[in-house]
Amino acid sequence: MKRSLLILVVFSVVLLSDFNVHAQVNDNIWFDGLSRSYFVRDAIDKSTINDTLSPNNRSNGYNLLDLNTHVNPIKDIEVMAQLRIRNSFGSFFGSGTEINVRQLRAKGVINDKIRFSVGDLFLKQTKFTLFNYDEELSGDENEMLKHYRDIIHYENFYTQNRWRLQGIQTDFSFKFDRYIRNLGFDFFVTRPSGSSQINETTYSSDLLLSGGSIFSEISRKLTFSANYINLYEVAPSGTNNISVRNPVQGISLLHHFGNEKYRVEQSLQSGFSKRYWLHSELENGISDSISNETKGMYFEFNNKLFMKDSTLTLTAGYRYVDPNFRSAGAQTKRIDYAYTNGKTIYPNYTNMSLVRPTSLFDLISDEKLYNQDLSSTLMPFNPIYSNILPYGDATPNRSGVFMKARITNKNKKFLAKLNGGLFKEVIGQGTAEKRNFGLFKGAVKINFHKWLNLNNELSFSISSESELTERGGDVVSSIDLYTHQLNTFVNAELVKNFFVQASYKQFNANGNEFLTQRNNYGNITYFTSEQEIDQKDHLLSAGILYKFRENVYASLNYSWWGAKFSDQPDYKYNRLILILSVEL
Amino acid sequence: MKIKTKLILSLIMLLFLHSCTKEEFEGPSIDILYGDFELIEPLTLTSKNPNFSNNEKVGFSCEFNKPVEWKITILGLSTNAKREITGLSNIIDPNETKWNGAPSQLPFFQEEVCAIELTFENETDTLRDTLTINSSKTFDDGIWVENFEDGTPSEGIVYYNSSGGGMTFTVANDDPLLGNSYFKMGGRVNWDWALGSLDLPININNVSQSSNEIYINIGILSDLVDLHSGQFINILISEETDTPFNDNPNNNASDLFESTMEVYKMKVPVDWDGWQMKSFKYSDFEPLSPNDPNINFNMNPNDISAIRIACQACPSAGVQENCPENFGKDVRTDIDHIIFTSNSSLLDQ
Repeated sequence: MKRSLLILVVFSVVLLSDFNVHAQVNDNIWFDGLSRSYFVRDAIDKSTINDTLSPNNRSNGYNLLDLNTHVNPIKDIEVMAQLRIRNSFGSFFGSGTEINVRQLRAKGVINDKIRFSVGDLFLKQTKFTLFNYDEELSGDENEMLKHYRDIIHYENFYTQNRWRLQGIQTDFSFKFDRYIRNLGFDFFVTRPSGSSQINETTYSSDLLLSGGSIFSEISRKLTFSANYINLYEVAPSGTNNISVRNPVQGISLLHHFGNEKYRVEQSLQSGFSKRYWLHSELENGISDSISNETKGMYFEFNNKLFMKDSTLTLTAGYRYVDPNFRSAGAQTKRIDYAYTNGKTIYPNYTNMSLVRPTSLFDLISDEKLYNQDLSSTLMPFNPIYSNILPYGDATPNRSGVFMKARITNKNKKFLAKLNGGLFKEVIGQGTAEKRNFGLFKGAVKINFHKWLNLNNELSFSISSESELTERGGDVVSSIDLYTHQLNTFVNAELVKNFFVQASYKQFNANGNEFLTQRNNYGNITYFTSEQEIDQKDHLLSAGILYKFRENVYASLNYSWWGAKFSDQPDYKYNRLILILSVEL
Repeated sequence: MKIKTKLILSLIMLLFLHSCTKEEFEGPSIDILYGDFELIEPLTLTSKNPNFSNNEKVGFSCEFNKPVEWKITILGLSTNAKREITGLSNIIDPNETKWNGAPSQLPFFQEEVCAIELTFENETDTLRDTLTINSSKTFDDGIWVENFEDGTPSEGIVYYNSSGGGMTFTVANDDPLLGNSYFKMGGRVNWDWALGSLDLPININNVSQSSNEIYINIGILSDLVDLHSGQFINILISEETDTPFNDNPNNNASDLFESTMEVYKMKVPVDWDGWQMKSFKYSDFEPLSPNDPNINFNMNPNDISAIRIACQACPSAGVQENCPENFGKDVRTDIDHIIFTSNSSLLDQ
């Protein structure tokens, strides 16, 4: 079936190859997509590493075209297929060339009232029910490294904090002339993963995610919404008689007021989660039972002030997330720290062929480290890169206050951002003492071309991000971990649309922590002591960028990157990268 | 409800949540995990005079204050046979930690006194005890392929390169693994990989286990006297069901191991002194011709029809000279006690 579909799509593309992809072929068929040429050359800096086993340098790359074909057989229905043609450098005559269907979706409107989508869906609810949080170290990323982020996000279908899922979705709404202004509904059923063969006689079960939202504008100033989501396995579709259930319910109230100068938004969110494993005993004729049940709740109160001239945005609030709050849709991480198949760049190093520890540059550039599948248990995280909110705002076992500010002037000569938070564990881990957390982020961008009245852009930006974790008590269980990230970036537009850029990124981690180990049911089984954390990662880049137009650019840059450790050999590498990206 | 009222309620809820903060903690205690090690319950054995021939098992129990990596070492004081059992926990449960009388590797335990030692990773504490084996374990639980007690199997086919020197492809009695006989496979064929093989027909169509649950066990004897460093045994298992075992009597070997058939292989380098019992999960075998699209490689122990145990060695002379350092050295890969077991290896039964 899939093969036939592929042949059909390829055949269609060949037949339609005479059409200009920018053009509307007719009202019923149109195209868009993305084309990318990518070339990298990596090299070892042997002044630091004694490594004669790895090649001194290696290069690879590819050309790809993602062609989105949109077909409107009738006015209210659109079918979209994304066909990917990818050709690795060094391959020829079809060898190394991949053609596959990357996305398929049909969407439409029934009777001008009910919208529906079938196939690949990009779904998001609240930050506590279904939300794809940004990965570690990605805040205030400078434009020079944004190309890497864009590729990682594109390849992993990360769009606007949505999870890409396959299934069916529908939404519709009603308007009222009394009591409430409108009432909307949104429902979906998806299958994050299907039944698969584990070995000759064992099959995993289908994993489904379904949910719905109801939202209502009660008055001009008050909005109410309720969300429900449930991740569950369908035991009969596999051979295991144990299946997970993780329903989460949440409600939120949004109130706003203001005048011609400012607007204030206040939101109140709260909800409950339950997670357990159901043991079906149909074959044995006895009733079902459950195990490893956890119940938890969350609560957030948030106030946001906007100046209507956009010079100031200020957010402050309080959040409580119970230690047992579990929401697979919101707590699944993008970075898979359990990934063990090796990194893309020099997975091993030194003449002892040690596994190269993950560094800042790997997180920025290696799309293989990223995850697209929802996890029913908390995924492991690295406290060095994120210890305060490793699972975003939905991180369990946290309570505390937070604030954000965004300040600029009317002609945007500068832009400043502040982000802070003080959090505390709700209960301790491994000891009655609780961790205390402090978070501070600051970023400033100065647009010199606005100060100097230059036509071409000249800007400098700098950001600093610190995380502090402390726990008192016995010497054995006490914790003191400090991490700091520094970003600087210079962007100079020499001639129209041609930029020279340089950036420096540094990451330090010092102190000690305990890594949490959990079993298959998410229960903590052990704490691994990391007593001598002393790591310093660096990334220096310089290069040029030419923007043909928005989302069409060519970038060439060279990077020097590496890491220093206290307990294993340091390393340094260099990379030359060329990207030509064209959004059709 | 007015907004002010809501805000007041929110603040009350906030205070309520603060006051709800719990005092217990998640997970095991770090103070215990990383604190000083303490013994809570001593090491005890469920039997001091086990009869392993009756499938009796000895359970061990002990308890300490924190999860540690522990190791129980059982040493036969007459045979020097050794068995190690390891774990990571704060309790050793006699229902889970049991000894069946088998060693970790050969030699076997006999009826003898055994010293037992319980040690802990990164701790100096050592607990000791002894037991006396009343009757030693027999290793007969499984589906027999061959033990060579009745000489060379009548249905089997033995082939060896008759041009080689000192070829030993025959049953001998001087140093059996168990029983009185074993099959010698060795000699000197400097110019070729293959020295010879033993093909045996198998019929186990009544087994219900999957390929993950079936183990093939085989005792292999070698010595380190002028060791041929490139010697190995190739085990081939055929699931060909349409062709007779000896379809062409003019061949020197069975006809069930052709490259066009569903055949699985396992290579076993032989580089030790004395007997070793080797056990392989059937699912760990690899297809002989993985790239042949006409073969459906779907392992099914029911369909196993034959096994080939081939003695091979890296050539030391001639056109295939890959290991000149082994020129003139004898190959020795003798075998005994070939048996299928379910769910675990023979020594873990």
